[in-house]
Amino acid sequence: MLFNLVEQLLNALALAGLLFLVSAGLSLVFGILRVVNFAHGVFYMLGAYLGYTTVAVSGWFWPALLVVPPIVGLVGALLEASTLRFIYRRPPIYQLLLTFGFALILEESVRVLYGNTAKGIEPPPLLQGVVALGSNVYPRYRLFLVVLGLVVGGLVWLILRKTRAGLVIRAVAQNSEMADCLGADVARVRTLVFGAACALAGLGGVAAAPMTTAYLGMGIGVIVDAFVVVVIGGLGSIGGSMVGSLIVGAAQTWGAFYLPETAMVIMYAVMGAILVFRPWGLFGEEE
Amino acid sequence: MSRARAAALIAALVLAVLPWVLARHQLSLLTDLLIFGLFALSLDLIMGYTGLVSFGHAAYFGLGAYGSALVLIHFGQPVPVALLAGALLAGVVAVPVGWFSTRATGIYFAMLTLAFAQLLYTVAYKWRDLTGGSDGIAGVPKTALFWGGPSLASPRAFYFLVAACVLLSLAACYALVRSPFGRAIQAIRENERRFTSLGRDPRPFKLVVFVIAAMFAGLAGALFAPFRGFASPEVMFWVFSGQGLMMVIMGGIGTLIGPVVGAMVFILIQEILSSYTEHWMIFTGAVFVLMVIFLPGGLVGTARRLAARV
Amino acid sequence: MTREGAVDPMTPVLETRGLGRDFGALQAVVGVSLTVRPGELRAVIGPNGAGKTTLFHLISGWLTPTLGQVLFRGHDVTALAAPARCRRGVSRTFQITSIFPELSVLENVRIAVQLKAPGAFRLLGGRALLEATERQARESLGFLGLGERAGDLASTLPHGDQRLLEIAMAVAQEPELLLLDEPTQGLSPEDTAATVAVIRQIARERHLTIMLVEHDMDVVFDLADRISVLHFGQLIAEGAPDEIRANAEVQRAYLGGLD
Repeated sequence: MLFNLVEQLLNALALAGLLFLVSAGLSLVFGILRVVNFAHGVFYMLGAYLGYTTVAVSGWFWPALLVVPPIVGLVGALLEASTLRFIYRRPPIYQLLLTFGFALILEESVRVLYGNTAKGIEPPPLLQGVVALGSNVYPRYRLFLVVLGLVVGGLVWLILRKTRAGLVIRAVAQNSEMADCLGADVARVRTLVFGAACALAGLGGVAAAPMTTAYLGMGIGVIVDAFVVVVIGGLGSIGGSMVGSLIVGAAQTWGAFYLPETAMVIMYAVMGAILVFRPWGLFGEEE
Repeated sequence: MSRARAAALIAALVLAVLPWVLARHQLSLLTDLLIFGLFALSLDLIMGYTGLVSFGHAAYFGLGAYGSALVLIHFGQPVPVALLAGALLAGVVAVPVGWFSTRATGIYFAMLTLAFAQLLYTVAYKWRDLTGGSDGIAGVPKTALFWGGPSLASPRAFYFLVAACVLLSLAACYALVRSPFGRAIQAIRENERRFTSLGRDPRPFKLVVFVIAAMFAGLAGALFAPFRGFASPEVMFWVFSGQGLMMVIMGGIGTLIGPVVGAMVFILIQEILSSYTEHWMIFTGAVFVLMVIFLPGGLVGTARRLAARV
Repeated sequence: MTREGAVDPMTPVLETRGLGRDFGALQAVVGVSLTVRPGELRAVIGPNGAGKTTLFHLISGWLTPTLGQVLFRGHDVTALAAPARCRRGVSRTFQITSIFPELSVLENVRIAVQLKAPGAFRLLGGRALLEATERQARESLGFLGLGERAGDLASTLPHGDQRLLEIAMAVAQEPELLLLDEPTQGLSPEDTAATVAVIRQIARERHLTIMLVEHDMDVVFDLADRISVLHFGQLIAEGAPDEIRANAEVQRAYLGGLD
């Protein structure tokens, strides 16, 4: 009985870890660039597929975690620098549509490269199997996801709060014109942040692949969840993304267990309620 | 005003004559183009005139398709009854979705519409008993024009029904945007805060136009089901919503006729490219991205600007 | 379009009782009680951050007070939201110009008239309403000297004319109480003089009550019948312009900033 609760708690945390990796990037891009990256979920998918390729080529899983996020980040940065950069001054609808265009192009590109079937990855031997928790067992890979989420979250927070680069990023987020006057290369910061956010999403994809397989359509699935997280936590708040991920992770886990069909409905209900009563989320800024 | 009227008259005449000029498969394509044109037109109402970007508009097309399919298959009613059923179903669902969604603005609104649309898509996908699940509903018949009336089974007959629906919808939308209500929603698009301070809550306006747009999209879907003979979840998928957005942008946002043109161009490109490669979506996506950057006014918008310079 | 009721000289157009508004720890407006009589032109002044715009937000319904009441023509409107208060007769302009950029100048004003009229929701036809509102809008534009630019896009207007356009929109609504939030902000001396002349003309010809937030003291002393002075959210002085000019506390509050 107790273990059931613990198991569900860990499941919720694992899911929250994944969600955090995806939604943190989304939240960052909105907070700093004031752009909602509709293609964010597709970068997640790209990470999963590239992870598959890395594993297939090298035979190892761990390199994928290191190699894939930078590649995905680079793709994102290139897209931003070549297109998004030129339309920041336009009404937000155009940026939304542009990232939507990315999403379509990337999704179809993945289909060209990999075909329609899902690709599975074996977790590395270290993370296979189960871990003993008292007299019960729990999958190691899921524990890994929990740890990964916490570590990455901590790192992102540290970078934003304690480093000079983070200071510059936050300055640009608050007042880009002033930051520009003070010598910050705003355009480069934007590209960097966009790339970093995509890299985070890519990392999430690699991490998710052994559990969910890499499949077309995982992008859209995760982005709706990520948006729910970001709505709850507040667009632009990393801490909010953490809390939001926990709430959504918990809701989905327990919902799936007790009320499988209505789990999604509950989530949308929560999101709807927040949008109606507190649209800037739990931690966001009232605009 | 009369220049637009003359153009409309010419367009109507051309559309009336085309069935005898075009080959069968070309007429079929034109019918398709008109149906998607209606879908894009409905999206322009909320996107171009009210400033609401919806990522979930396909859901109403789908609801229209399913509503119409079910009425035709299970009750064998004349097609106009099915059209009404489809449009009403879309409208009824749009009321609560619109109520919630319009509580939010900007990107939050867009995300809410996406989430609701995905929810509806999932329902369509899973509710096998009603919707046939991932297979959808097949064998939707083209019945009659009215009880005891002429059959609409021939391509020419159905084409006239579609053309009439689209022309009437276009006329209705033109009248709508010129009405006091239509002027009000454009003001909402321009500055919602100012609108509020001038004495009206914008939300009821947004809800009404949202439902109207959903009903026109539902009408398009309701025409689609008997025309193609089936209804399936794909038409409710976010990709189709996105294609709708592309049609509107390519054609010219906020011009009503632009999105209709945009839809036609989009489908034609799809037809042509897909005969060369099954990955035409990449090219279309690339063209779209380029248009967003360089030609935000779309085809009609850019044409009008050039014409104004001359 | 007729205005309901005649103006009763005994009932104040606006009365606030102990009006207060907090933002967390910040008390933006504290215990402000003032009364504005019909036909008056009341200026609200004070150093930056004194709470003037917040006060306007409270009067117009843009913000709900944490304390106190707002009475308009003797009725408690504290619970009414901004759109409803506007329809009752409170029209305003904003500190940062807020117009409909891609609509024509004429349409900007016409919409202001339409939104206050019944029938704003009409889905079809409505030609009579459109024509009537357009007539009223043209009249208002002419009154403010913008008649020739009626067909231009509002976004193409220079800054000074955009501020006038905002005033035109508010005036076209035929309000009982007109709130002007820094109407001369960012204007050149010529535009400022033109705006002052316009406001004076509105006060004379239109039988409405005007409240004005202003930083430009020349404008204030030129136009105001009475002046209310805010400092740190509190009303520290109120009276005729000469009294205020001589008031030591007011001078202290501005630390020599008065002219």
